[in-house]
Amino acid sequence: MKQQDPRGWLFVAPACLLLGVVGLIPLVTVINYSFFEIFTLQSRFWIGTEWFRDLITAPRFWASFGRSVLFSTFVLCIQIPLGIALALCIPRGRIWAGAALAVLSLPLLVPWNMIPALWLSLMNGDTGILGQWLAGYGWPAAWKDSAVLTWVVILAMDTWHWTSLVVILAYSALTTIPDPLYQAAAIDGARPWQVFRHIQLPRLQHVLLMAVLLRFMDSFMIYTEAFPINAGGPAETSLFLAVDLGEEIKAFNYGPSAARSVLYFLIVLSVAWVFTKVQAKLDDPKPGVP
Amino acid sequence: MIPRRAWPVIKLALLGAFILFTTLPLVQMTVLSFTATLAQDGLSLGETTLRNYRAIWSDPSLRAAFGNSVAYVLINIAITIPVALPAAFAFARLSFLGDKHLFFSFIAFRITPPVVLTLPIFQLFSVLGIVNSVTGIALAHCLFNLPVSIWILQGFIAAVPREMDETAFLDGYSRPRYIWKILLPQIAPGIAVTAFFCFMFSWVEVVFARILTTTNGKPISMALSAMFGFQTDIGMVMAFTLTSMLPGALLLFAMRNHLSRGFKVGRV
Repeated sequence: MKQQDPRGWLFVAPACLLLGVVGLIPLVTVINYSFFEIFTLQSRFWIGTEWFRDLITAPRFWASFGRSVLFSTFVLCIQIPLGIALALCIPRGRIWAGAALAVLSLPLLVPWNMIPALWLSLMNGDTGILGQWLAGYGWPAAWKDSAVLTWVVILAMDTWHWTSLVVILAYSALTTIPDPLYQAAAIDGARPWQVFRHIQLPRLQHVLLMAVLLRFMDSFMIYTEAFPINAGGPAETSLFLAVDLGEEIKAFNYGPSAARSVLYFLIVLSVAWVFTKVQAKLDDPKPGVP
Repeated sequence: MIPRRAWPVIKLALLGAFILFTTLPLVQMTVLSFTATLAQDGLSLGETTLRNYRAIWSDPSLRAAFGNSVAYVLINIAITIPVALPAAFAFARLSFLGDKHLFFSFIAFRITPPVVLTLPIFQLFSVLGIVNSVTGIALAHCLFNLPVSIWILQGFIAAVPREMDETAFLDGYSRPRYIWKILLPQIAPGIAVTAFFCFMFSWVEVVFARILTTTNGKPISMALSAMFGFQTDIGMVMAFTLTSMLPGALLLFAMRNHLSRGFKVGRV
């Protein structure tokens, strides 16, 4: 049992203060702006919920919303199973596991705005390793003209960039499984699938939930990485939510972009809320399971 | 059914294939960084050269960008860890009203897309006079580094046996003294892992870094963006990208055995 101690608040107070300044104040400001028509920051007019109405009646918003949801679905369906599989593949033993994790994590160190540049040069038909190789097989160098191929490139790039985070998370959960469990399973003659299903997966679920949440959010709001690949094209088929918002902020449309931000935050909040519910359910010890 | 003996081979093959996939763009980057991609200095296109690296070394603005990045990452770590530590201790060891909700509202800040808060943070920091300074970026990055740090540290603290607390309190240690003298040495690797993740997320972040540095204090990522133009020397861009990865790669190598130990959620 944890000690009941209201002095806990004293310990978290500095963190609350810091997040209040860099998080809460800006958030409240955004919510405030979303109800104003803003000419300059000194002259602004209350216009109520007009921006929100504009936004949710615009087909463009829903199109990019759908696109973002679809993209995140792809990201999760690829990266979570792949991340788990790779974590299971990492050899046991300190040296090799450490080396494998370190190599896999290298993409996390590339400045985000350079990742599209890296992939564009890799895909380049004249100088890129992959581009040259594919061109040798007569692969269309004009992948920018195809919505499907553009998506494939963005997904490959995102998988390259972020899968290692899932691997690290999953691997960290796997290391908490004590050896006797495996030994018992071996004595019982469990198949690898049974070991995975009944020993490894239960240990993974908490951390995986976190991985799903982090990957969902970051892919849902993909901004810096998607735009340079094909500028939202062809025909806006790779235009995601945050890319739209970024353009609006650059154009200094404070009111509409604030309204958009508030909508995004509400989406984030509702997903996080579902997540806490699932988390609470997992924490409930099920009857019959020690 | 797959025979038991085939599993290690399949595992190795999958891991090997993904490592190949991971390293391919990095190999591309390395090759380009040693290639002359603009015909100048008597070099023809495609020639192997060290000129890109020499050009980086002799450019004071790139050196300054490197210094800025190092500075704001260090400031960020110096702010984040001391603030995160007591909070992580409270979440791991104490029970108080609203602790679970608070933990998840912290996590909610981690998952708030930075682009949502760029505008007001820019205004707030203008009022505070820390726009165009490394302090501004360092502070803005606390938004996502602090929740992650608390999360990692509480995993490490929860892994320390509770008996250790009890013995210390019986010996008459006060709580701050206990944290300082007994807990900290125990979770030193955890602090290192946390600092590493702070470094990693801060070093590569671009959204805040861009809006908070319009004239001064540009970090590496913005210096890289500025290199793109009418005639982009892609070789030099790649050389600078590679250089920017070196400190992280060194840290990664040092941390490799602790890297995966930090993330524990739920009951420990």
